[in-house]
Amino acid sequence: MLTYQFDWSIVTSGKYFQWLVSGLMMTLQISTAGIVFSFLIGLLIAVMRMSHFKPVRWFAHAYLEFFRNTPLLVQLFFWYFGSYKILPAFINDWLNTTNFEFAAALVALTIYTSAFIAEDIRSGVLSIPKEQLEAARSAGFSYLRAMQYIILPQAVRITVPPLVNQFLNLAKNSSLAMTIGVAELTYQARQIESYSFKGFEAFSAATLVYLVLSIVITALIHQYNTRILNPHRA
Amino acid sequence: MKKLTKMIMTMAMVAVMGKAALAAAPADTLAEVKKKGVLVAGVKDSLPPFGYIDEKSRQIIGYDIDFINAIARKLGVKVELKPVTSASRMPQLQESHIDIIAATMTKNPDRAKQVDFSHTYFFTGQKFITKKGSVHSVKDLEGKRIGTAKGSTSEQNVKKAIPTASVLSFDDYPQAFLALQQGKVAGVTTDEAILAGILAKAPNKAQFEIPNVQISEEPYGLGMRKGDKNFVDFVNKTILEMEKSGEARKIFDKWFGPTTQFHLNRNFKITANN
Repeated sequence: MLTYQFDWSIVTSGKYFQWLVSGLMMTLQISTAGIVFSFLIGLLIAVMRMSHFKPVRWFAHAYLEFFRNTPLLVQLFFWYFGSYKILPAFINDWLNTTNFEFAAALVALTIYTSAFIAEDIRSGVLSIPKEQLEAARSAGFSYLRAMQYIILPQAVRITVPPLVNQFLNLAKNSSLAMTIGVAELTYQARQIESYSFKGFEAFSAATLVYLVLSIVITALIHQYNTRILNPHRA
Repeated sequence: MKKLTKMIMTMAMVAVMGKAALAAAPADTLAEVKKKGVLVAGVKDSLPPFGYIDEKSRQIIGYDIDFINAIARKLGVKVELKPVTSASRMPQLQESHIDIIAATMTKNPDRAKQVDFSHTYFFTGQKFITKKGSVHSVKDLEGKRIGTAKGSTSEQNVKKAIPTASVLSFDDYPQAFLALQQGKVAGVTTDEAILAGILAKAPNKAQFEIPNVQISEEPYGLGMRKGDKNFVDFVNKTILEMEKSGEARKIFDKWFGPTTQFHLNRNFKITANN
């Protein structure tokens, strides 16, 4: 008879619990940094995409199409293994003394997600009547200042729900970083499985943590949206 | 909302119970394999010379596969090979996706709690592959970054042998070796026979070597489901006969012997004692 003995205690205490916690910390670090950077870069690309200066617009368009339409895993390998062929030797030598796995994963996640965020923000901007921009320009605002003070604050508000989706995707996509040796949550779950053969418990625990993490991100942004961005609607 | 929650709960319960029922199925693999006429084996497909895809025939061939073929021949059944990784092979076996593991699996007490091993059919030791001249003893690797593959005993051994080293686990050995080529790790560690296979295939092999630094002994066994006594006995009997008839030695020489690029001596015998 084959029976699988469930043993949940291995993921709630002791060595394996600490592995999960350290994996969660790594996931939090990479997700938080990724969310901040991908939002900023996404915002920049969105503005560039709407620029009236053609080369800038074309660059932003190419960036979007390239990073949106290639698999994240391939991009991850590109930044980690592929960059070696492009960069000069002294930079490679320096990178190899640092925690390059983390950096490569962060860059890949940030750039990939920023392409989606840029499109979400652009659609938010396009939903603001163009007369507002015209009014701002005739009132003496430069294009960038009009964006900064008039258009973007409104657009970002509209963009919040799709942005939440991108942030959640980023947090979950960070699990791919395990393929280049970043010891995040999924990596640790797999590690527990290969040491203890309790894969069911390990991955259930990791799933639960991802679920809680996603719910927390959603709740935080919902709070921000209702309390700060739209106080009158709360 | 309540209805939805209820539905999800039901689905989750069905999933869990289905899994439990599957795991509780009684095991007599020997009878089952004979009945279905095919032996499904989990093997490596990128690990010469144990299991890899032959460039000409596009079939998986290797040392492990020859043992599976011999067992299947004895059983009078066909062979179906399924590629597995170090991390996936045990779950695949336990969930009955495969009947037997022949994938460079080291026998150790922890694993023996989950699977039954055959007698040792290959014997090797864990070493390192490094840039030429960079490593002369274990000391040279202290505090360095060392690459290996996820879910392997190599990873656990190196953490024990060199606690100050940071271990980077990749999905597979070719990736770990790529990291070594790019200077991202100071060495790649696993069993010598596997390292010899990686080195033999490397494009710039003159720059690398396998220094004589061993950190563990690695006896390989074929893995079968726990408590599957008939099948384990049958496999053990078969490989002992192969040793007696000289077939086991022939297979070793075919893949590792003097006529190959590995030039390994067979310093073990398949016996009933281990």
